[in-house]
Amino acid sequence: MALTGRAGLIAALGAIGVLFAPRPGYAVLGLLLLLGALVTVDVLFAGGVRPLRFRRGGERLVRLGESVEVELIVENPGRRRVKGTLRDAWPPSAGAGPRHQRLDVPAGERRRLVTTLRPARRGDRDAVAVTVRSLGPLGIAARQGSHRVPWTVRVLPPFLSRKHLPAKLSKLRELEGQHPALVRGQGTEFDSLREYVVGDDVRSIDWRATARRADVVVRTWRPERDRRVLIVLDTGRTAAGRVGVSPIPAAVEPGPRSGAPAPAAAGSPRPGTSASVAPERPHVGTSASAAPGRHLGTSASAAPGWPRLDWSMDAALLLAALASRAGDRVDFLAHDRTVRAWMSGASRTDSLAALVNVMAPIEAELVEADSASMVAAVLSRAKRRCLVVLLTDLNPAAMDEGLLPVLPQLSSRHLVLVAAVADPRVAEMAAGRGTAELVYDAAAAEHLRGQRARLTARLRRHGCEVVDAAPDDLAPALADAYLSLKAAGRL
Amino acid sequence: MTLTAPPPAATSAPAPSMSASPTARSMWRGSRGVILLGLIVVLVAALTALLTGTSTEGRRLDPADATLTGGKALAQILQRRGVRVERVSTVEDVVRLDGPGSLLLVSDTSFLDPVDFTRLSRTQAHRLIVGAVPGLEVLAPGVAPAGAAAPRSREPRCDLPAAVRAGSAYLGGTAFTGPRGSIGCYPGSEGPSLVVSPGARTVTVVGDGAFMTNQRLAEDGNAALAINLAGVRPVLIWLVPPDLPQVTPGSGRASAGDLIPAGIPWAVLQLGIAVLVVAFWRGRRLGPVVVERLPVVVRAAETVEGRGRLYRARRARDRASATLRAACVSRLTPRLGLSGDATPNEIIAATALRTGQDAVWVRSVMYGPIPADDAGLIALAGHLDTLERQVREP
Repeated sequence: MALTGRAGLIAALGAIGVLFAPRPGYAVLGLLLLLGALVTVDVLFAGGVRPLRFRRGGERLVRLGESVEVELIVENPGRRRVKGTLRDAWPPSAGAGPRHQRLDVPAGERRRLVTTLRPARRGDRDAVAVTVRSLGPLGIAARQGSHRVPWTVRVLPPFLSRKHLPAKLSKLRELEGQHPALVRGQGTEFDSLREYVVGDDVRSIDWRATARRADVVVRTWRPERDRRVLIVLDTGRTAAGRVGVSPIPAAVEPGPRSGAPAPAAAGSPRPGTSASVAPERPHVGTSASAAPGRHLGTSASAAPGWPRLDWSMDAALLLAALASRAGDRVDFLAHDRTVRAWMSGASRTDSLAALVNVMAPIEAELVEADSASMVAAVLSRAKRRCLVVLLTDLNPAAMDEGLLPVLPQLSSRHLVLVAAVADPRVAEMAAGRGTAELVYDAAAAEHLRGQRARLTARLRRHGCEVVDAAPDDLAPALADAYLSLKAAGRL
Repeated sequence: MTLTAPPPAATSAPAPSMSASPTARSMWRGSRGVILLGLIVVLVAALTALLTGTSTEGRRLDPADATLTGGKALAQILQRRGVRVERVSTVEDVVRLDGPGSLLLVSDTSFLDPVDFTRLSRTQAHRLIVGAVPGLEVLAPGVAPAGAAAPRSREPRCDLPAAVRAGSAYLGGTAFTGPRGSIGCYPGSEGPSLVVSPGARTVTVVGDGAFMTNQRLAEDGNAALAINLAGVRPVLIWLVPPDLPQVTPGSGRASAGDLIPAGIPWAVLQLGIAVLVVAFWRGRRLGPVVVERLPVVVRAAETVEGRGRLYRARRARDRASATLRAACVSRLTPRLGLSGDATPNEIIAATALRTGQDAVWVRSVMYGPIPADDAGLIALAGHLDTLERQVREP
């Protein structure tokens, strides 16, 4: 049951009547009884909420940063018209709107309502409840009830780095010889024989074939195909750190009401909610860019950035798209202490779709990654030699005890490429000069960079490739590293 | 294709909707325990109230009051013995009933003013005054309080027939000194707590009225003493404070509350009801509060910032300068065409050659002593930047 403003208005206006009534005590009692009677009548004659039937339809997948419409079909099997308000409740980060919708379903009919979701982060978003407030004929009181209408929308990684894909694909075509430039690599596969044209490398002339035919014939080469690329995503605690500037705007609470239900940040040590961050974002963006010389600790403190995990996923998606076009097979493993996700054997055409689907619900766990277990998982899954792309952080403390001792097991059987997201904030701090605070911060930043450089050198000594790039550059840098490995025939 | 994380069930039929609101039956089931508990509490409270009786404050020595401190028992005994007990609250009533055959009993004079005392003192009725009341010197000339005496059971120790016949009684309260010719009974260390001044009208003063209350009347000789003192005349004028201070509009004694029209408190009550209704209207949420587990928000640069703050807090110029120098050297060596294991002397020589700076100065910047203060550290950072820039753009 719920009341409306009219009930309050009747009670308030009644006070004037009581003031001038000859028997005010009886007037109060009479008004109370009148209000009670009106409310009772209204509730009795309001359309029933419990018998309503709901069905959902629409999209189940949405890429982060885009919006999606979910439709709700309300069917009224009762004998009275259901007229009032409907709220389709979703988690706050689903960005559902509008908050309230008007509902008017005559008896025996059905209506279609549309809720637009604009999710603010990756993962599965479950519809919570549909609440209907059905007003009575007088508009004084209403019946109210909730229904559970299950629906899940999976928010996929945005794959922002797909803008780099055409450039990398043209590089790939150069390798494959479809491009006019011919590349003769050492480890490349023999493709076919064709007639010599001026400009061909004389070293590629096939003398035996030339002898058989009256013409000079050269061998052409193409990069090897059907290699395996295993992308390993570290979802441990270092993946939760936020880096750079989030390319996805935080959720803005739709609807005019400011009294939004506060989301409880159960897993968060800070009260960082999607709703509370929203109004600060534009302010932070302008102040950080307009005042490069001010104290850096405060300018960046409000901008949460984007988790390393999401930047890594972006790079992994570009790599997977490129590798599947290049004819390689892409497997995917997400691991912290146990295997979080494992994808293998997807066909080349749908490997990217399967990959985003697998990646969508992965969140960083606040535990130290277990590298030994990760290496064991990789070794048990990858029987043949493959390129293991390890997306993690070059955290000296974690690497010294975690990955480095077990890396030889991995690098002896596979080619290992370690890709890490560098923090642009550290580079910014390292350039700080002028005041003692900034210089001390610069020293701390140089300390970390020195450690990362030493770690990179150690990894290279183990025979690993290392890509350490700023968040925006990681995806193209990783793609370039893959292409250069492919050109060199090291896959 | 094997997937550990299952995609949303896109192919399965949409699950039917179900009502999540509680039904009347489930609400009854859920709340019947609470209702039962509330009923038990109310029942116990009602039983306790019935068994212990009213605990309201009684009116002390009022002939119409049946509480422990009242005087209804004494009034009824006297009436049964043929005494006409008149309960009055105004001096006018006292004057109307006044006469030589009456006895005036006064236990509280706080509601009387000096004019009333004078009028009372002119009456012919005999007097029984309880306690050292205000106006005692007017009502009982010559009797003055002499000190406090603990109320307890006392022996008469005097010749007053009423006291002697009654025997020991619960007296005390105040001790008095009487005028010449008066009789003092039930004495304590300070003096008698019952004084009788005989004359045309007998004036009796007792230190405490507890022996006449409903509670104590049955003890000792209390009842006998009370009857002997109060029941000696055919009419007993029992003066008690008025029930309610009587205020008439226009008398100048009305408070602000008396002047408010009767409708206003009721209108305020009605407004209160309206506030409740509005509160229920605004307070009813449309559906549940939705909670969500959000991922942790930790900026990756926090550890570096923390290290910077630690350096600053401890003024760690040694570590800061060493780190800055090492970073500069590691960037300069490849640019100078030196290998990673070049000695400091080689690096200094190459840098000095490339930049044209003095080798001693270059050495002091790159391998010199730890800066003595923060200004020195800032200067060192600037010098390192200068060197790097000059190596980059000779």
